[in-house]
Amino acid sequence: MSTHIEAGGRLAHPDGGDPGGPAGSPRDPRRRGGRAAQSAPSGARSRVRRWIRPARVVLAALVILLAWNLAAPHYPGYVLPAPIDVWTSFTSTWSRGVWIEEVWATLQHLLLAFGIVLVAGLPLGIVIGRSTIAEDLSRVVLVFLQTVPTIVLIALALVVAGASTSSVVGVTVAGSITYFLLNVIQGTRAIDQDLVDMARAYRASEGAIMRTVVLPAVVPYFLAGARITLGVAWQITLFAEYLMGAEGIGFQVSSAIKLLDTKAVFMWGLSVVAMTLVLEYGAFRPAERRLTRHVKKG
Amino acid sequence: MATTSAPMIAFRDVGKTYPKTTAPVMTGVDLEIQRGELVALIGPSGCGKSTLLNLLAGLTDATTGTIDVAGSAGTDELRSAYVFQNPRLLPWRSVLRNVEFGLEQAGVPGAERRRRANEALELVHLHEHGDKYPHQLSGGMQQRAALARGLALEPDLLLLDEPFGALDALTRGYLQEELLSIVRRFGTTTLLVTHDIDEALLLADRIVVMSSRPARIKRVVTVPFGRERALDSVLAHPQFVPLRHEIRELLRPEVAASDPTVEAGAPEVLSS
Ligand SMILES: Nc1ncnc2c1ncn2[C@@H]1O[C@H](COP(=O)(O)OP(=O)(O)O)[C@@H](O)[C@H]1O
Ligand SMILES: [Mg+2]
Repeated sequence: MSTHIEAGGRLAHPDGGDPGGPAGSPRDPRRRGGRAAQSAPSGARSRVRRWIRPARVVLAALVILLAWNLAAPHYPGYVLPAPIDVWTSFTSTWSRGVWIEEVWATLQHLLLAFGIVLVAGLPLGIVIGRSTIAEDLSRVVLVFLQTVPTIVLIALALVVAGASTSSVVGVTVAGSITYFLLNVIQGTRAIDQDLVDMARAYRASEGAIMRTVVLPAVVPYFLAGARITLGVAWQITLFAEYLMGAEGIGFQVSSAIKLLDTKAVFMWGLSVVAMTLVLEYGAFRPAERRLTRHVKKG
Repeated sequence: MATTSAPMIAFRDVGKTYPKTTAPVMTGVDLEIQRGELVALIGPSGCGKSTLLNLLAGLTDATTGTIDVAGSAGTDELRSAYVFQNPRLLPWRSVLRNVEFGLEQAGVPGAERRRRANEALELVHLHEHGDKYPHQLSGGMQQRAALARGLALEPDLLLLDEPFGALDALTRGYLQEELLSIVRRFGTTTLLVTHDIDEALLLADRIVVMSSRPARIKRVVTVPFGRERALDSVLAHPQFVPLRHEIRELLRPEVAASDPTVEAGAPEVLSS
């Protein structure tokens, strides 16, 4: 990896050590936790075991909620609002239709940028991964995008397009695409040349090699890259909305804090957390299961 | 062998030096192979046998000389199948879909593709494992699936790189017989790389004995057992033991030269 685009410590992309398994993929040993416990003999015991770990997670959440509730009265509301006030902030925002409107604005920014990154990044990453010419030509741009402060991108976007959807989307794409590209490049480089030769020997066209060998081999890296990118894209989108005053959750947070409406800040923060979880379990995990069915299970 | 027709394959003074290396792996190889012939290549490991198959498959280019490969009857398009030294199955495809791979690239439509792939799987006794993924099979089973992938194509040219190496003796014997009967039935021109002198004698019409690196052809031995042979009768043929001895003696100095750590008495390639 060191001979290619310098990844730098800030990137959580899979590193050279294990060509078969990017971070967070089903082959990642960190994801195997608890397997042994789950394959215990069936019956009541195993049913208990299946629930014990989720139950602990819920327990921890309840403890935190309780602690928060106990601590809140000791602080002014603009420092630490009580859980119930945060909830009320949500219901009133919701009933005025503001919640849906603002969330929708942010999701549009986010998903548009994310879609552009995936659609543009996959072919770009594969080309860069397979051709040293493309690698050399793209290097300057990649290093720039990776190192330029997001705040500079935001300032430039403001000059070019004002506080608009295209500004937020553009900044988010520019700020997050390298995370995705580096994963796809890495995956493309890790492709087993023996399999490509096999396909050639059976007279596969370049297009067929792409479809039957290259793309499937890149899938785990694609998924790992997409997951990291979505996390980064959330941050940049909100940041851009906040600083540009563009419609969306980021702007709501900046308005709320100016009025010391801390419960609204909490409410928006928790809303983002909830949506991230929905995307993870509602979209990412199922997609990952579908796309990596062939992978050897621990 | 019918020498009246043009050869299916002609190597003319072929040399190969891999890029970024200085020592050639192959020099001055001249070899003609007739349509329908089964030729075994035998030589010490690392001498360039796989390289020779790769040249034929178009996976790498000769540095000097020319290689002519005739098209199948009536067309320029040659159907060739390559069973590699390692299975090279696509991990994300079921075994059946792997066996379909060559047929798919040849444009064979879905239903027929499935039927032929299933037949090939049956031949290698894997028909019950078609729905599994490669990692669920043992090494020997994976190698048989790779063989099925090649056979399913019913190719004009079949390249086999030590295809039975990972198999137990019983399975090997059975598959050797099946291979011979298929190859005869379809008139498949076959190049079989092997470490095993007995295997070469059992199956081949001619045996090409190669020298240690750089690969040259040391001797071409014509096998006198006839094309329609029962493998058991080959073992009983009065020529079998003398030929085996002759090939062994041809290889002995080459094996010693290719690997100085091999004890002169029991080099791996001779211990069959
Ligand atoms: N792609 C390659 N680049 C450089 N050297 C190679 C390459 N492939 C094979 N070789 C070398 O060429 C020689 C012949 O290899 P190979 O054809 O695989 O031998 P065999 O199949 O007879 O064991 C070996 O010394 C091997 O190290
Ligand atoms: Mg070899």
